[in-house]
Amino acid sequence: TRLAEGTPRRSIQLSSIVEKRVFNEDDIINTPKRTKARKSISIKSADHDGDDDYVPELSTPKKTPQKTPSKGKRSTTKSSTSDVSGTPKTPSQKLKMIRSGEIKPSLEKRGILAGSEKGKTDLQIARERLHVSVVPQSLPCREKEFDNIYTFLEGKIQDQCGGCMYVSGVPGTGKTATVTGVIRTLQEKVTDDELPPFDFLEINGMRLTEPRQAYVHIYRQLTGKTVSWEHAHSLLEKRFTTPAPRRVTTVLLVDELDILCNRRQDVVYNLLDWPTKAAARLVVITIANTMDLPERLLMGKVTSRLGLTRLTFQPYTHKQLQEIVTGRLNGSTAFKGDAVQLVARKVAAVSGDARRALDICRRATEIADAAASKPENSSKDSMQCVNMMHVQQALAEMIASAKVQAIKNCSRLEQIFLQAVAAEVTRTGVEETSFMGVYTQIETIAAFMGASTPTPGRALRICSKLGSERLLICEHSRNDIFQKILLNVSMDDIHYALKVNNTN
Amino acid sequence: MPDDSEEILKTRKFLKARLLRDYSTFRGHENEHDNIRQLLKRTAEMGESNSMLLIGPRGSGKTTLMNAVLTDLMKNKDFVQNTLIVYLNGNLHTDDRLALKSVTIQMQLENATDGKVFGSFAENLAFLLACLKAGNKRSKSVVFILDEFDLFCSHHNQTLLYNLFDVSQSAQAPICVLGITCRLDVIELLEKRVKSRFSHRQVFIFPNGEDFDAYIKLFGELLSIPSEKQLKEQSERVAGLKHLQSNELTFHRNHFQPSKYKFHKKYTESWNKHIAGLVKNASVTKALQAVFDFDISQAFLKSFIYRLVAHINNAAPMSAQITAESISQLAASYEIDDKVELLCGLSVLELCLVIAIKHHSEIYDRDPFNFEIIFSRFNKFAKVSSTMQGIERPVALKAFEHLRNMELLLPLTATTCKVQKEFEMHKMALTYTQINQTVQRYQALPTEVQQWSQSSII
Repeated sequence: TRLAEGTPRRSIQLSSIVEKRVFNEDDIINTPKRTKARKSISIKSADHDGDDDYVPELSTPKKTPQKTPSKGKRSTTKSSTSDVSGTPKTPSQKLKMIRSGEIKPSLEKRGILAGSEKGKTDLQIARERLHVSVVPQSLPCREKEFDNIYTFLEGKIQDQCGGCMYVSGVPGTGKTATVTGVIRTLQEKVTDDELPPFDFLEINGMRLTEPRQAYVHIYRQLTGKTVSWEHAHSLLEKRFTTPAPRRVTTVLLVDELDILCNRRQDVVYNLLDWPTKAAARLVVITIANTMDLPERLLMGKVTSRLGLTRLTFQPYTHKQLQEIVTGRLNGSTAFKGDAVQLVARKVAAVSGDARRALDICRRATEIADAAASKPENSSKDSMQCVNMMHVQQALAEMIASAKVQAIKNCSRLEQIFLQAVAAEVTRTGVEETSFMGVYTQIETIAAFMGASTPTPGRALRICSKLGSERLLICEHSRNDIFQKILLNVSMDDIHYALKVNNTN
Repeated sequence: MPDDSEEILKTRKFLKARLLRDYSTFRGHENEHDNIRQLLKRTAEMGESNSMLLIGPRGSGKTTLMNAVLTDLMKNKDFVQNTLIVYLNGNLHTDDRLALKSVTIQMQLENATDGKVFGSFAENLAFLLACLKAGNKRSKSVVFILDEFDLFCSHHNQTLLYNLFDVSQSAQAPICVLGITCRLDVIELLEKRVKSRFSHRQVFIFPNGEDFDAYIKLFGELLSIPSEKQLKEQSERVAGLKHLQSNELTFHRNHFQPSKYKFHKKYTESWNKHIAGLVKNASVTKALQAVFDFDISQAFLKSFIYRLVAHINNAAPMSAQITAESISQLAASYEIDDKVELLCGLSVLELCLVIAIKHHSEIYDRDPFNFEIIFSRFNKFAKVSSTMQGIERPVALKAFEHLRNMELLLPLTATTCKVQKEFEMHKMALTYTQINQTVQRYQALPTEVQQWSQSSII
């Protein structure tokens, strides 16, 4: 019993000695001990209350010079890139400043300015306008959806109540662009004093490493500070549940909602539960791809909170795509009308993705540029213009299927191998073949063609090479001659590529 | 001829260095080369954001093409000053956390110091995105090179790919995402929102499978010594590489330096004449045709030539260095079946077991077997044979285990359930042809065994 009593007492004594020494005699104590003690303190406080402790630590400048002079000396050389303040910063100090939002994230600037507007050709201007990142002021062909979201948001802001909306549609149909367009219009109205002011927050599920980081991102957009998610969650909970006078409406845009869904769905629940609180005045707009996400993935109570205010963005038709592209071109003559129409029709038939159409148009301008720069062409048509041929080439490049080309460019034995797999599939009638059966087919075909038969070891190498290209799907070669082989190209492709007609 | 022998040694050194360390010479595919160069140039000069995939079979020179383009661009001062190159490899950066740390270090962001990144994964991602968002056309372009792109597709949620492609499609810092992969169907691995953000520019690199003449020409080119003028041109081409300051992309560090080598004019002429004579030789053409039939990639040809070059020694005169015979010999050595070689090294007892297995497989149409089955079959033969009598069961079991350890026999299932060693079922990873070849080639095989291998009837 004595021992059991003794141990804690001793530790208490030790710690008290250390503290005494720290506070009494500054000079004698060597640095490692002191930094250790300091570290443990800061870790403890970080665990207990996340962000409050950064402020006092930063606001004690008298401690920083004491702290390991050697480190500070080293960091002076590195901190030359940061232009926030001239004081030497250790990495951990820098991290604290990043967390408190004092360091603004920045990228290196380029030395030479980008080319001026004047020197650009028609094609270059058209290419810049066609870039997906250049979002026009008002999206064409999305007026109805714009009105829908606008009236919803305006109503919610004016009534000062909370609410939810679910927006869905396949990628590239202008969902996020429309919503941010609505927000921009509303913010303009606020500056004109036609609407009560509101806060706008935005998170994207794919930009988070895990669903709970959503709290951190929301809190950072409110205050600029980075804290742990538990802390952010409790602070947000406090903010949205307690009534406060003069609280403005908050509009929260949640992109890629399906990523925020985990098994527990606590994050989605919280995001959709806050608007129901009277004190919150939170309007949540959620965006996802699938139309039936609430019913398919979300729990009943979450679906119920999401409500029935929904909007679906249809894929663009070919007419709409054509309008979008001509809208971007803005009367420039770089494109022939039928060229745009061809792009629109081809893309609308596949996906109705506006990004796809714009990218293909941009590629067509590049091809036209390259064609015009060639000496023999430039004399023929001095006017640089994207015509049907350029668009055809761009379409062939970007809606590419290179499998036939890949088979054509295989070596002779690889081609024999592919033929053998196809022959084995026809013989057995089953899709899945084994290497042994294929090898007997190789022997037959090679004898027929007068080529030398590869040894099984070499045939395995060919097999794994074709497997890495994904012309075949095969197992690991560890299974040796018992591995299963699937054909990943259609048999017609093989025959077409190898010009084998109906001779056998 | 002491002078000549020195030159021969120098030639060997030169050829080896050129085969192994010339990372940036890419032959052919001018259109594709131009396409990528233009893309990177536009990213650097005009601040355009782009994305592209470079696809081709293994060994087709995708990385070399990339290196060649970078070497070209390194001469351009604007490019060097205005771009950051970030290199990621799917084999090294196995998850987004590692990849993100590497990106932060290579871009020299604020939260990285001396190759160490501070903060959690989530913080790093948020900070990187904030940095990219803060950028505009005035900030430096960032070129992301993602080697083994298909492996990045298997990361959780494809967060990194989504964010990179998303930045390339929004008005933020100008970036160019360049993926390199050997999978033809890589686009189908992308999630639909990632796929929508990708610009669908794909460049395919296929080695030309129909042009054997070009292959022969390349063979001659890789073996011959360039003239002084060509050497100078080449050294000028790689001179710009010293501007490439990247810790991750390392091809410039130990690059082949053509300026270090100098040859006598007379010697160069006679060597090249010797090589030109070889290229025209019919037996050389035949040997190369066999190599070409198997694998058409330049990488394979280079490894073939390297083995030729390694045999150069200064004791012999120049005409005896690389001969038609040595080439056909080497090509023939590629055709050798390694498993047959392995089987020839077995003891007679082990070979007898293999023959017993063969008989069993022939009779029961490749049914699985265990030691007991094989041992009884072997015993039938051993009883009547004069050489194999008196072999005890443990010895045979040891031989059987040896065969298994060499993976000539594969266990039927990988389960470790408690089946006794003698009763575990196996299958044979050999073809009958291989066994027959072994029996023919085996040194000093007893005639009894040879006869037994012909038929199972004793």
